[in-house]
Amino acid sequence: MEQHIHPEPKAFIWKYVFSIDHKVIAKQFLWTGLMFLALGGTLAMMIRWQWAYPKTAVPVVGALFLSHTGGAITPPTYTSIFTMHGLIMIFWAITPILIGAFGNFCIPLMIGARDMAFPKLNMYSYWMFFASSVLVILSFTSQLGAASAGWTTYPPLSTNVGAPGWGQTYMALAIFATGVSTIMGGINYIVTVIRYRAPGMTWFRLPLTIWGMWLTAILNVLFVPVLGSAALLLSLDRLAGTHFFVAGAAVGIQGGDPMLFQHLFWIFGHPEVYILILPVWGIVGDILSFFSRKPAFWYKGSVFAMIAVTVLSAVVYGHHMYQTGMAPLLGLGFEMLTLAISVPAVVLFVNWLNTIWKGSLRLEVPMLFALGMVFVFGAGGLTGLLLGTISTDIYLHDTMYVVGHFHLTMAAASFLGSFSALYFWFPKMYGKQMDQNLGKVHFWGSVVFITLVFGGQLVAGYSGQHRRLFEPYQYTYIRHLAPLNRWTSFAAFALGATQLIFVVNFIKSILMGKKAEQNPWHVSTLEWTHCASPPIYHNFDIVPTVVRGAHEYADPAVKKKFGRDYLDQVEPGLSAVDEDSSAGMPEPEAIGAE
Amino acid sequence: MTARRLLRAVTGLAMGAGALLTAPFAFAAAPQPGSGYGLPVDVSAEGHRIDWLIGVTNVLTGILFVLMLGWILYAAIGHNEKRHVAAHDHGDSRKSIFLVLGIAGSIFFVVDGNLFFNSTTDLEEVFHNFDKVEKDPATIRVEINAHQWAWDTRSAGPDGKFNTKDDIVSLNDIKIPVDTPVIFEVASTDVLHAFNLPNFRAKVDAVPGQINRFWTQGKTVGEYEIGCAQHCGTNHYKMKGVITVLSKEDYARWAKEASENSARLFDENDKDAHWGWDWKGN
Amino acid sequence: MGDVVELRPRAREDFTSVIGMMIALGAWAMMFGALFFMYAGMRSHALMWPPPGVPRLPIGLPALNTAVLLASSGAFSLGLRSLRKGERRALSAWLAAAAALGTTFLALQVVVWRDVWASGLQPSTGAYGSVFYGLTALHAVHVAAGILVILLVLVRSLLGKYTEHNVMPVRLPGMFWHFVDAVWVLMFVSLYLL
Repeated sequence: MEQHIHPEPKAFIWKYVFSIDHKVIAKQFLWTGLMFLALGGTLAMMIRWQWAYPKTAVPVVGALFLSHTGGAITPPTYTSIFTMHGLIMIFWAITPILIGAFGNFCIPLMIGARDMAFPKLNMYSYWMFFASSVLVILSFTSQLGAASAGWTTYPPLSTNVGAPGWGQTYMALAIFATGVSTIMGGINYIVTVIRYRAPGMTWFRLPLTIWGMWLTAILNVLFVPVLGSAALLLSLDRLAGTHFFVAGAAVGIQGGDPMLFQHLFWIFGHPEVYILILPVWGIVGDILSFFSRKPAFWYKGSVFAMIAVTVLSAVVYGHHMYQTGMAPLLGLGFEMLTLAISVPAVVLFVNWLNTIWKGSLRLEVPMLFALGMVFVFGAGGLTGLLLGTISTDIYLHDTMYVVGHFHLTMAAASFLGSFSALYFWFPKMYGKQMDQNLGKVHFWGSVVFITLVFGGQLVAGYSGQHRRLFEPYQYTYIRHLAPLNRWTSFAAFALGATQLIFVVNFIKSILMGKKAEQNPWHVSTLEWTHCASPPIYHNFDIVPTVVRGAHEYADPAVKKKFGRDYLDQVEPGLSAVDEDSSAGMPEPEAIGAE
Repeated sequence: MTARRLLRAVTGLAMGAGALLTAPFAFAAAPQPGSGYGLPVDVSAEGHRIDWLIGVTNVLTGILFVLMLGWILYAAIGHNEKRHVAAHDHGDSRKSIFLVLGIAGSIFFVVDGNLFFNSTTDLEEVFHNFDKVEKDPATIRVEINAHQWAWDTRSAGPDGKFNTKDDIVSLNDIKIPVDTPVIFEVASTDVLHAFNLPNFRAKVDAVPGQINRFWTQGKTVGEYEIGCAQHCGTNHYKMKGVITVLSKEDYARWAKEASENSARLFDENDKDAHWGWDWKGN
Repeated sequence: MGDVVELRPRAREDFTSVIGMMIALGAWAMMFGALFFMYAGMRSHALMWPPPGVPRLPIGLPALNTAVLLASSGAFSLGLRSLRKGERRALSAWLAAAAALGTTFLALQVVVWRDVWASGLQPSTGAYGSVFYGLTALHAVHVAAGILVILLVLVRSLLGKYTEHNVMPVRLPGMFWHFVDAVWVLMFVSLYLL
């Protein structure tokens, strides 16, 4: 459907600060997200330092922020560090980068829309997110320390019983605020895809990226409100003296029930892990096809698999609570549904593997990151089987094995997927090329050290190490894991250092990168074939009419006729009698010439 | 059941790899430091069921992992743009779809099916089978009350009733007889904790206002560690205890002495000390 | 651009905002749904509900209040219908009535809270007090927000911003207002009657 063309604002404040342009908002989310990624990463380094060299002064960071203890981490500080690490990475780093930045940037461009359905709501979404970020920073500055009840914020520990002070309250409110922002974004994404697809852009011609973003938006809109509810009730417990989640000696027989928070939390929390991975699945599905120069294998199968996972994700949350005294029959039901997820997951996975099989792989940076994502997600998915099964989970629950598992699936896979997207769309976002060699160093460092860090966590957990221990070596039976933990920490520091290469590359490319062509990767989606790099304010002067899906590659007849190995989503292609009808489209680039 | 035994025998070899990593356990008067990477030594009568299932699954997922990695590497090198022209294949032919669904189905039935079948039978016949254990006259019953950051423990004295003068009470220290089932009922007074016996492959959350339970049975005399697996505040990392498996005679001697000690130290007015509850049972 | 030409794209845009509002209300419903889930969980675990020794909640005043809020919703609907017929002054009158009835609801709600508080039930009185005050307060916040929105629409209506061809800025707040109403009916039934 045709959207109005809004006049482009001229004043700085309307153009770059309170902008309603989805491309600018995407960049705002990207930058804020990258800042928080750096902050969350620093916190991770501090945890790793504590496990490598317990109770010794942390270099640099310790001198800056922990001067009162001579730079060493104390147990209360440690609890704050891992709590804030988890919350920041999930809600203030991955979510804004993956969904805020790439959702905003890709959806209108890839479906052929001039902007989001509700541009102003989009702007409010970012500034709500910004407000929540301020609350996060406030939490660090509060007198009794930042939030410390773990990212899951389980009461009663997260009520005044276990975590007095404003740090935890700020975080409860920040979670609520960022939830509101996410819901606003989600509404926009859903409606934009439903209403503003270009003519001819049918549901099964959508790039997989859009499917991923759209399904994520649906999960966000459905389940983030549940988290919002839980955060509100927790805030009431903390501020208004209610007893929703406080039980036991503190309130006597009329108390509330801490388990109810866990239910609400995981009703949201399990969809959340798919919220963070569905966009990556979509992006990787597209990029694997683009850089294998081969159609996405069984596109519809991938779409249905993603839909199936989306539906199942809503009904498996109980597997996070097997050890809470859940009724055996209920546990069994959750176990069955959880294991059932492996069917669509394997379909998706085999489709990826088949996409690259017999392709003509171009191992450029986005492709490398996409392959890396497939690898770590495979490793993470396979380790999840033991956690989804009740009897094996008895031993592994709450160990570092869980930590390794969800870091591989949710953190490492989202991380590599986000960077795949960033390297891929950077030329379109900024109109500049990124340095491919630095990108390749960044990739190899990231994927190798990610494997070592989270693999090390898996081994430690398998050998019995609990998660969230200030000093694991208090326990005799895992004391011998100290060298393992230290080596894992070294890998983590190396992983951190590798990211500096990205920072250099990113800044350098924005400031003085080579100017990017319109379609440097020679791919077939609208943002590359019908938009300048960077796109004009309203994206498309004339909204193109789409005639095919996003993955038309490697057709020998096309190669013969056009001299290149792909058809974009708009050109008439082989069936057209009159070749002049492709006038007004960018010149087909001579790919066969290479 | 024979099919299952057969499967166990076949995969026994694979399990050996894991067992090799775990050094033999020497008996001593204090919890022994572990060694090597792998599951800590199993001293429970039924923990081998969990270990077996973990081991089998590791082998199966290990195979899948190697296949996946090999596939990616082969495609990246062998089907590189320098060496290979891409096939024009949308993967939506009947054959392709059957291939994908076939792989997904086989993995589901073999790997997930094995997990589900064995986990469910183990839980039903053993880990959740409290009827059998409750009926066993030899069964020992222990109540655990978790609080920041210690485990209060209590077992009924000779009168068989909880919260009476002859209860055996202690802190962070549990003694159980070897080859005898023990049922634990676990609660908490303040925040969430998780009572974890890694060497027994047993774990349950301690939740305020709720009594959770599990049972286990020691097979090897010795001292093992109790851990808290759920983040419970600043000193979570120090919330540990010791569980000692004694020979039956040692246990009987100790229980008699401990009960007498408790009775002697019993203070009617110390309300906080009488946290025990009537055994919940089935 | 003539009126006739403009009508069609506007109708399409209108439909887009209605979908957006419906999705937003769906999200809101999930939030309230979570609250009711929590409440149901609490009740199903309780041995007795209300727990022994807890003062009983009044029924008469809340029932009257339910009627007041329903009337407010009705007034809003009638206002929208007037606008569709082109009766702009009637719209302002109905909107004023809806806002007044909403405010009456809040005032009566404060009276209910005061009475209940005086009878000894407070937010810190265990689960029962928490549920009663928590749910009604969260709903009251939505009513207050709704009243502000209605007042805003009223001002713009008095300024003559709406015509029968431009009903959407009135219809969308109306959807929200009916939603808040429907949530209240569920709350009234489950908190006071069941």
